[in-house]
Amino acid sequence: MIQTAQDMKTYKARIKTALGNQFLRTALDNFASAYKVSRAKAFEGIDLDALKDQIAEGKDQALTQLESLFHQFKARAEAAGAIVHLAATAQQANEIIAKIGRDNGVKTIVKSKSMTAEETHLNDHLEAVGFNVTETDLGEWIIQLRHEGPSHMVMPAIHLSRQQVGTLFGDVTKKPVDLEDIDLMVKVARKELRPVFLAADMGVSGANMAIAETGTLGIISNEGNARLTTTLPRVHVALVGLEKLVPDLSAALRIIKVLPKNATGQALTSYVTWITGAVECAASATGKKILHIVFLDNGRLELARDPVFSEALRCIRCGACSNVCPVYGKVGGHTLGHVYIGAIGLILTYFYHGKDNARAIVRNCLNCQACKSVCPVNIDLPYLIKKVYANILKDEGAKPAKNTVLSAVMKNRRLFHTLLKMASTLQKPLVQKDAGVLRHLPFIFGKAHDFRTLPALAEKPFRDLWPDIRPQIRNPAYRVALFGGCVVDFVSPEQALSLVRLLSAYNVQMEYPMGQSCCGLPAMMMAEEETAAEVAAQNLEVLDSEHYDYIIVLCASCGSHLKEGYARLLADKPELAEKLRILHDKLIDFSSFMVNILKIAPGDFIQNQTRVAYHSPCHLCRGLGVTREPRELLQTAGLYYAPCKDEDVCCGFGGSYSLEFPEISSEILRQKLDHVENTGAEVLVTDCPGCVLQLRGGMDKRNSRIQVRHISEVVADNMKNP
Amino acid sequence: MEHHELIHRMKEKAGLVQAVVSTAGDMADVLRYAVEATLRQNGKTIAAPGLDPESRQKLETLCSNAGLTVLNAPLRAHQSQIHTALTGADWAIAETGTLVLDSSSEDLRIATMLSETHVAWIPATRILPDATDLSTYLIEKMKSPPGYMSFITGASRTADIERVLAIGVHGPQELHILIVEENPS
Repeated sequence: MIQTAQDMKTYKARIKTALGNQFLRTALDNFASAYKVSRAKAFEGIDLDALKDQIAEGKDQALTQLESLFHQFKARAEAAGAIVHLAATAQQANEIIAKIGRDNGVKTIVKSKSMTAEETHLNDHLEAVGFNVTETDLGEWIIQLRHEGPSHMVMPAIHLSRQQVGTLFGDVTKKPVDLEDIDLMVKVARKELRPVFLAADMGVSGANMAIAETGTLGIISNEGNARLTTTLPRVHVALVGLEKLVPDLSAALRIIKVLPKNATGQALTSYVTWITGAVECAASATGKKILHIVFLDNGRLELARDPVFSEALRCIRCGACSNVCPVYGKVGGHTLGHVYIGAIGLILTYFYHGKDNARAIVRNCLNCQACKSVCPVNIDLPYLIKKVYANILKDEGAKPAKNTVLSAVMKNRRLFHTLLKMASTLQKPLVQKDAGVLRHLPFIFGKAHDFRTLPALAEKPFRDLWPDIRPQIRNPAYRVALFGGCVVDFVSPEQALSLVRLLSAYNVQMEYPMGQSCCGLPAMMMAEEETAAEVAAQNLEVLDSEHYDYIIVLCASCGSHLKEGYARLLADKPELAEKLRILHDKLIDFSSFMVNILKIAPGDFIQNQTRVAYHSPCHLCRGLGVTREPRELLQTAGLYYAPCKDEDVCCGFGGSYSLEFPEISSEILRQKLDHVENTGAEVLVTDCPGCVLQLRGGMDKRNSRIQVRHISEVVADNMKNP
Repeated sequence: MEHHELIHRMKEKAGLVQAVVSTAGDMADVLRYAVEATLRQNGKTIAAPGLDPESRQKLETLCSNAGLTVLNAPLRAHQSQIHTALTGADWAIAETGTLVLDSSSEDLRIATMLSETHVAWIPATRILPDATDLSTYLIEKMKSPPGYMSFITGASRTADIERVLAIGVHGPQELHILIVEENPS
């Protein structure tokens, strides 16, 4: 029985238990590494972006006509001898299926894997009314025997070791099972389940696609159990979510082209089965299969009409959003999901299984964008997760105090900046001189936060230094404005000072528009969209992009939020569209500006070949799509770039995430730093001040000799004529 | 894509998913192959639904000489005894090494699902580059129901325990593909 934490206290306890499971972590980690390689290989030579767009577009179109597709499917399938049902709710679907069983004198049922049946808790229902139900997918059988839910949508038993499975099989068969030999365990399943297949009265399957044009079900599987389930018993019931309807075969073939590759890096599953109507079946009295197709609504029709959330219904259940999620990799699917797992699970749980089950898990998102970039149907998963969180806050009325405070402060730049300056004074007793870090954490932080040293606020923020240092360039090559962001301005002004040195050397006139405030991303992360929109409009106004050639960011998170987030937040203000377009076009990250605009040359830099590792910030590599430029910049600037494992995996910062889930944040960080240490680098370079904060704090805690620096600093330091 | 390139691709891709791929000159080669494979695995039976009468006769002779039994329809009567399934495939898809079988016949389904080893032959001329080339054929089939169409790519497999690949879960444990290149006449 699946029991998902419904409050943060219970959830934290679950997280602690999950983090203590070393096998789980190793298994998920190995999978994450292997998956990336095999996925890339599977998609070799395929224009994946074009294919993704095509599928997403097709899905969106289908979603606007689900009811007519359903009627078309029903007409075709029934003409071919099937009986088609539409269940409004999960309960209704279960009752329809139980009635089909009773009407046909069914006692035993075999099931092939279906997430939709998991969604309706079909097994529980069928067993409660007296049927004998056996899951036949190996992973599903294992978790059925253990009375658990799946921990991954494609590999339901990925959380279990061979020893656990072997012991379980030994108990079930009452015969000893070699606890190391996986091949033999698979044969145990083959042998045990074969007679169950042969004796079953009814087979229940899901379907990956339902083709309206012909009334055809498309089912993919590897083990062959779906074929047996749909062939041997005299009755076949397929339980299908309404969103699986596609208009025609070509839409279905596109999904097949992507689904197995994106799920596990497999070119194609062993079996793809296309069933149209009631085929011959000697076990049935009529000689024809008794075929029932039950479509499940359970909120889908309403969801399909939702202007924001409808894209969640594009999901084809490949599970890739779990495969790449750093949080999933640490805690697994039983902790990061309810029935549906991973990023899509955080969203669908709210709609299919209610806010109580979604309340805690929905907060467990780093916003690292890994899921969004791997999603084969372009679902903006991190955004929808925040929107679900906002819905839950709204449903529940009372907001957490920190949300109310954050909103009030952030909307008022002067107040916000005054508070930061006051904090800079107040923190003095805690600051270790020279190191610029807090040696004691303020009392509001618990022990769990002690995995990294926190930086002190700068004695003087960049905005207070700027009037005295602003260089005046005669006949500048470019005029640019810096959008600093809070961390650069108030914690790490040295990163901006490095930029000032570089830009002066390259004859670029820089400005620092003083009215700029926080970019507003932290408000988004706390689901305070109204505040975020207000701040966005303020920044858009003061940045005055039309007066500059470029708007430079040193913070990738601010950058991607300004570039993509603002347009969405301010979409309902057509009068700002032109300003937004200009900001979008002129916004550029530091590395891209140096490499693509200034086209800097190695001759300008001391070629000391210091060995550096690189951490690719989430919002740079995925948010802004910048991957080549920083690596090229490091090498041009005379450094030796030592590639590091998982450079593009999140550092675990995630802004307020690391404060909300320090236990997980610290584990993600630990792994990142281990990889960096393995490179033998002297310096770890990245281009986001938030990442610098997290990585530097972590290195400091482990007393590492590796320095952590912003890319602007290392490049400026290697200039020949500073 | 050139004809020989398609055959090469088909062999390569099917091989990647642990199918055993060979070529055969004619049906006699195919029948011999099925008998030899069955003997090698100590199997006792062959189910060959859909085989043309002439080949069926030849297979019966080969089997009786070798001490094997050719199972008769309906195969539901023999569902626990099928060692080898010998079937043709309607098409093959080179891109993924896939066989396409119109499996509307229940005997064909039972043979290809419950056997230990599936030996399938495919005329070289029926290998297509990718699945979209099959669209017309598939749509036609789907529009004349009822129908059960199967794409088969390699043997039955799982990675459900510790992601370790294991071959032969609920379907055939081995898939042998014979590409029949008719001698030019």
